[in-house]
Amino acid sequence: MGSDTGTGMPSDSADPVADAELERLIAACAQRDSAALRGLYTLTSPKLFGCMVRILKRRALAEEALQDVFVGIWQRAAQYDASRGRPWAWLISIARYRAIDVLRNERVELYREAEIEELPELAMPPESSGAGSRRTAEALARCLGLLSAEQRRGIELAFINGRSHAQIAQTIGEPLGTVKSWIRRGLKSLRDCMEP
Amino acid sequence: MRHDDPQLIEALAAEYVLGTLRGRARARFERWRAASQPIDAAIRAWEGRLVHMALATPSVRPPTSAWATIERRVRALEGRSRSGSHWRAIAAAVAFGILAGAGFFAWRVERESALQTYATIAQTSGAPLWRIEVSPDYRHLRAVTLGPYARGADRSLELWALPDGKAPVSLGLLPAQGGIERTLSAMQQSALRVASHVAVSLEPAGGSPTGAPTGPVLFVANRTVQT
Repeated sequence: MGSDTGTGMPSDSADPVADAELERLIAACAQRDSAALRGLYTLTSPKLFGCMVRILKRRALAEEALQDVFVGIWQRAAQYDASRGRPWAWLISIARYRAIDVLRNERVELYREAEIEELPELAMPPESSGAGSRRTAEALARCLGLLSAEQRRGIELAFINGRSHAQIAQTIGEPLGTVKSWIRRGLKSLRDCMEP
Repeated sequence: MRHDDPQLIEALAAEYVLGTLRGRARARFERWRAASQPIDAAIRAWEGRLVHMALATPSVRPPTSAWATIERRVRALEGRSRSGSHWRAIAAAVAFGILAGAGFFAWRVERESALQTYATIAQTSGAPLWRIEVSPDYRHLRAVTLGPYARGADRSLELWALPDGKAPVSLGLLPAQGGIERTLSAMQQSALRVASHVAVSLEPAGGSPTGAPTGPVLFVANRTVQT
């Protein structure tokens, strides 16, 4: 698993920082505690930046987008509601959606995947996290494993590399309509598989 | 399109979170989300399902300049939203036993050193396109879009400082809309100190691959502030 694009999911590295600590820091940001924003940045910026570089390819663009993300977190911290989602899902979503918006504004074209591999990597120490979170990670890994290779590749190219339907079709070398329906059916299978 | 159909909501939420819902459809779905609890819930459920795929991607340490800009922007926001914020800073300084002099003075100076217009880039007709602002210490730059400029679909516009007698130094990409703000490297700062002009070149998407302008120079603007 993960030998192709490095996107396999060893569950022991899934949650680098415990949920409770992130929730505490987000709540403190909502109280205008700038030291908490610094703490949140220290704990989460390598992971968020990693996701954004992967989508935007260019570090300078990703750096500007990362700045927008943390200013946005500061402004929206009061809207975070722990009962409606885990902190990592909230943070990663803000980062990914910002990157996708930048992708659209800047019309970033694709660079070779090799450029990504050259970026230095920072290994996060695995730390214990909530049992529910661990369970979701394992379910996702198991359910992705049940998809066809094409479905899984399409979903990974979209989610991790920020590729559009058309770009995925080009990468895989299949018609656009085929790729769209693979992804649509793949998502439906994932959901059915992951629901309790 | 009906947006109270649970199956449609589910399918759109999945593609929204995946990132394949793009363009106007994406913007429209975001507007629906703001007004619809079921859409919001469907999106959050998908975010929770897929987040571990993002967490499994390798971390990359951001450049140290990123935090300096975030801190500055956050401080500017706070400065705007509360006039009494410097009293809070005084209280904090005393509370932490910091000798008020150095720390607080530096903070005040930074807060009050507003960005100044460095150059205005305009069409030959005179229609302004971007205002380039630089802090008096040359550490921060902001580019504000003043008017629309059509660029090719796969092109970026890159801003350059032109120090007399030396090679142009990139100041980053110009935004298509709104403003961007960035913290400058020592090399960019020294180029801006001595430059008399800035220029804009047309580059491949993402900027010049070589570190020097590769496309046509579209605009050159005089420096307006001499410090």
